Amino acid sequence: MSVAAGGGESKIDKTKLMMYGLGGGVLGIYLTHVLNTITGSGYFSFLAGLGVIAAVVMGSDAVRRVCSYGIGTGVPSIGLMAMGMGLVAAWFGLSIGGVAGPIIGIAIAMGFGYFVGLLANRIIKMNIPVMEEVLMTLGGAGAIVLIGLSVVVSGEISYPLIISSVVDTGYIAIIFIAGSLAILHPFNANLGPDETQDRTLVHTISTGALAMFAAGLASLATIGAAGFLTVIIAVIIWIKTFMWYFQLVKRDSSGVVGTGLLPEGGL
Amino acid sequence: MIAFDANMVLYIIEIVIGGLLVGVGVHFVPVGGAPAAMAQATGVGTGTVQLAAGSGLTGLLSAGLMMGVTDNIALIVISGAVGAMIMVDATMIVGNWVYIYGVGVPPVSAKVDYDPITKEPQPPYISPGTVGHGIPTVSFVSGTIGGLLGGAGGSLIYYALMSINQNPGLSGFFAIGIFVVNAVIASYNIQGTIEGFHDPKFKRVPRAVQACLVASLVIGIFAVLITGGA
Repeated sequence: MSVAAGGGESKIDKTKLMMYGLGGGVLGIYLTHVLNTITGSGYFSFLAGLGVIAAVVMGSDAVRRVCSYGIGTGVPSIGLMAMGMGLVAAWFGLSIGGVAGPIIGIAIAMGFGYFVGLLANRIIKMNIPVMEEVLMTLGGAGAIVLIGLSVVVSGEISYPLIISSVVDTGYIAIIFIAGSLAILHPFNANLGPDETQDRTLVHTISTGALAMFAAGLASLATIGAAGFLTVIIAVIIWIKTFMWYFQLVKRDSSGVVGTGLLPEGGL
Repeated sequence: MIAFDANMVLYIIEIVIGGLLVGVGVHFVPVGGAPAAMAQATGVGTGTVQLAAGSGLTGLLSAGLMMGVTDNIALIVISGAVGAMIMVDATMIVGNWVYIYGVGVPPVSAKVDYDPITKEPQPPYISPGTVGHGIPTVSFVSGTIGGLLGGAGGSLIYYALMSINQNPGLSGFFAIGIFVVNAVIASYNIQGTIEGFHDPKFKRVPRAVQACLVASLVIGIFAVLITGGA
């Protein structure tokens, strides 16, 4: 593998991460819907947030794999493209599929991703062997993040409810940008020759928790006080993972030494 | 449920044209990426997507504003184009102030010997070890054209979607989604940096046209089927 932007060995296999990401994301979204509908409350919205974190980890690992080839446009571009594809696909799924919407949306987003990857390799001639597979993963991750965070805000999978509580209120802007940052920021912040997979992914969990936190705050206005549960759980996850991340940073850094200021005329 | 009618074909065509305009527009905007941020390459010191998103969103805002007053497609598209042009121009002129007065470098292109517009010689002004710096006249003009195309494309997509779902929030974000996909495909085509229409990389436009055509078509077909809820 040509290493342009850095990116070390992968300790955790990509198929495993995809399995957890897709499975965790879909499970979180549906558990939220089912439990919230049965209990008639909004207390279980945090489960969709946890699903989002799983999907974000899957997406971030995909960003990590493709960006180590050096795509030339910076890491944020691919994360935003994932959300762009995910957005149209997710809303298409929700709009036609009813309760099955999330699965339709995720499947279509992955289809879009594979297709755009084909275009990038065949027409643009980027010749990155993992492009199709990575964009497929990223499209799926983007769709899960958007649907998951929307469900955190709306409380259940219902297209009219999501339109009125997420789109018409403008929270979609927060969800879109917080979700894409959660996917693209970790590798952007950690890249370099000393990048390690566990550090990037632990960082991803913390950025995912921040996206969940933002959606939790928005949900206070839509599902009421039950949204505090999402906010509190997100804060706990963020504190835990950020401390964990800081430990890994210290593990990976070669040493921080105070040298003092340069002496007079030292240059 | 899915309801298909003849108008949808028109909307899909509008979305595809919009996507193409965005894809081509990106090739005009002088994007320098990280080297330009250190004044070591010509162009604005950020990525394509940031520039395209910045100008595209301003274009959407001004298109949306115009849409509140009229539903004349020409006025809406022009309004969006002007909004995006103003945004790109403001970015480039402030960038140039920083390069000229802050960093202390003259705006110069490294891809041509003479500026095609001012006919000024370029090589004497290039600092050794760099590939140009700042935003020279030709890149500035090119960037303005890019803003025009990108803004027009974005507002055309927005107009088409608004005609279908009548929901400004939804249409706006779908327009951003389609915009971003096309902008990123185009920026892969130029490998992240370009100086403007005088750059040799500009000759790659046909490839981006093909890719954006197909991508917008596929995403457009799905986008027009999404209803405005309720």
